[in-house]
Amino acid sequence: MSPAAAPEIRYQGKVHELQKELMGRYYAELTDIAKGRSEKKNAHLLIAGNPVELVRAFDMVPVFPEVNVLQIAARKASLPLIQKAEELGYAVDNCAYVKADIGLWQSGYEAPYGTVPKADLLLCNYVGCNVYLNWFEHLAELTGAPAVNIDIPFIRSADGEPSREDIAYVVKQLEELIAQLERITGKSLDWKRLVRTVELSAHVGEMWSEIKSLTKLRPAPYDAYFDSVTMMAVLYCLRGTPEAETFFEVALADLKERAALKQGPLPEERFRVVIEGPPPWPFLRVFRDMFTRWGAVAVASTYSTVGGIWEFGFRHDPQHPLESIARHMLSQNLCNRSFLQRYDQMERYVNEWDADAVVIHSVKSCRLFSAGQGDMREYFVREKEVPTLLIESDLEDPRYFSQAQLRNRIDAFFEALTQRRITAAADLAAGGVA
Amino acid sequence: MRYAVGVDVGSTQTKAVLVDEKGQIVARSLIDTGAYLVRAAERSLEACLAEAGVSRNDVGYAVGTGYGRFKVAFGDDQVTEISCHAKGAWHLFPKTRTVIDIGGQDTKAIKVSDRGEVLDFAMNDKCAAGSGRFLTNSAEALGMDVAEIGAKSLEAKNPVRLSTVCTIFVETDILSYLASGKKTEDILSGVHGAIGSRTVALVRRVGAEPEITFTGGVARNIGMVRSVQEKLGLPVNVSPDSHYTGALGGAIFALERMTAGSQVLA
Repeated sequence: MSPAAAPEIRYQGKVHELQKELMGRYYAELTDIAKGRSEKKNAHLLIAGNPVELVRAFDMVPVFPEVNVLQIAARKASLPLIQKAEELGYAVDNCAYVKADIGLWQSGYEAPYGTVPKADLLLCNYVGCNVYLNWFEHLAELTGAPAVNIDIPFIRSADGEPSREDIAYVVKQLEELIAQLERITGKSLDWKRLVRTVELSAHVGEMWSEIKSLTKLRPAPYDAYFDSVTMMAVLYCLRGTPEAETFFEVALADLKERAALKQGPLPEERFRVVIEGPPPWPFLRVFRDMFTRWGAVAVASTYSTVGGIWEFGFRHDPQHPLESIARHMLSQNLCNRSFLQRYDQMERYVNEWDADAVVIHSVKSCRLFSAGQGDMREYFVREKEVPTLLIESDLEDPRYFSQAQLRNRIDAFFEALTQRRITAAADLAAGGVA
Repeated sequence: MRYAVGVDVGSTQTKAVLVDEKGQIVARSLIDTGAYLVRAAERSLEACLAEAGVSRNDVGYAVGTGYGRFKVAFGDDQVTEISCHAKGAWHLFPKTRTVIDIGGQDTKAIKVSDRGEVLDFAMNDKCAAGSGRFLTNSAEALGMDVAEIGAKSLEAKNPVRLSTVCTIFVETDILSYLASGKKTEDILSGVHGAIGSRTVALVRRVGAEPEITFTGGVARNIGMVRSVQEKLGLPVNVSPDSHYTGALGGAIFALERMTAGSQVLA
């Protein structure tokens, strides 16, 4: 039942090349700021539900500690940073993103891909993770940078929509933020520029949504988990810029072409899966191969919505920039939604993207996001009769990754799916009930 | 006569089972895995063939399973022990719908179809809490042989309640109970109760549908069988070949491949 060796074909086309170029330039700009070669101001932001359009409208550069540290993990360099934070007293089971970032600060913010500038503003947005709130508080204390937090009410409605009061509450805070950004940059807000930034975000959202719908096709032209992360880097770090717009124009055209040619990321698409949870960055390739060898392709992933959900219709609105930014911060991110909304999102993926199974990758150092995933597994297995696998490692800390155990579970899962397909096919051939 | 073989290279022990064309067990072997997995697989096959008096040329198909499955150099295929335990348990007890397997380092609950296919499974996480190793460490802490502790635990009059299922911390827990004058059997009852509870919680995750078959080396421990039955409130099947269930499942897969010839999965 062991499948053939992992095929070597991987999608590394224009999208990946252009991403590399853009992200290289982005980090070069951050390095210039850090080294005093650029006068630009920067704000450190969190991925989920941030107001990056406002930051861009002030010609400030957003810095994303999560993106910084996940890239360090992907280069297998996160453990020494995590250990530095543990020497300071951070607990072993504390969020490993936080620890890696604290370790990075202790290392003078020198990363393998460039230098991260010290924040001119620590712009936290509380979307359900109080650990992240503490993260930015710690950075404020350690670096002396000013910190603000935008308080985002949890989405309490059954339909996942924020109330008018919720939106007004966030808009009010954005207005206060504008005043703060004006003080930092010494410039008044250029409303036209904000509108233009929001327009660019809206267009990018439109294209990203279209890209996401392409994986409804058979075969899916790209892997909606492992290849989405390539596009997510641009979506988050460069959203609201003309570069991001160009990138998504290229990506959409390229992936559409692949879809028309019926090219997928693997020679044969045997299983279509929905993946929940962030990837184990220190072992991304190894982890991907565990699926590749079974011909399993992700057709949708919740992780690709951690910084925004566009595939169900949300768009930034240039007519109402602040309200639409507020709406995005409130409801269009994974972390601020209830478990029932998370179930609903995954169920739509299973049905509308026509998936065979769900794979939940639980994160050991993030109990906040992972708590409840056992119930989630049971919900899909028992109530929806969708084969669902729950596996666990970590997004940043390599010590939680046990290759043999993960592979064993993944192999067993696809073995079982394969076996059931063969039985069903045999029944059908025998004229029985499949 | 042609034969099929399954070799289960586990974390602690390597098992091999040889079956004939009817699926009857012809021979079985059991050795310590040690550090050289390829050799362990080889030795277990040799031992099995020697017991059966069968030549290697008469083996039509071999399946490797267990953590060392990719080290079964002579294997025609590899199948995870999850699929193999399901298959083996179903072969021994065809009405099996739930399999409990407690191995050296992990514990599994497997939901099985009426054809021995895996429908769902749940396993302990990366930590070996509540696995066979927990019993071995407990036995060592008490200066006993692991083969004796199950029966001894049944003599308990006032079972202790262990606060941990951690395979490492259990030793200090046991020492503190010994220091406070608790009897060995009462401590052992606590040890078996702790694993039983954890195992049953795992079983409930896939649904405890009868018949339930207990497989793996730990199924030889009468104290564990009683503990699991008591906590489930249901009887469990235990075969004298429970320790060989994974290898047997591998042999049955091998037999299916051998007879079907072309119907190799994937």
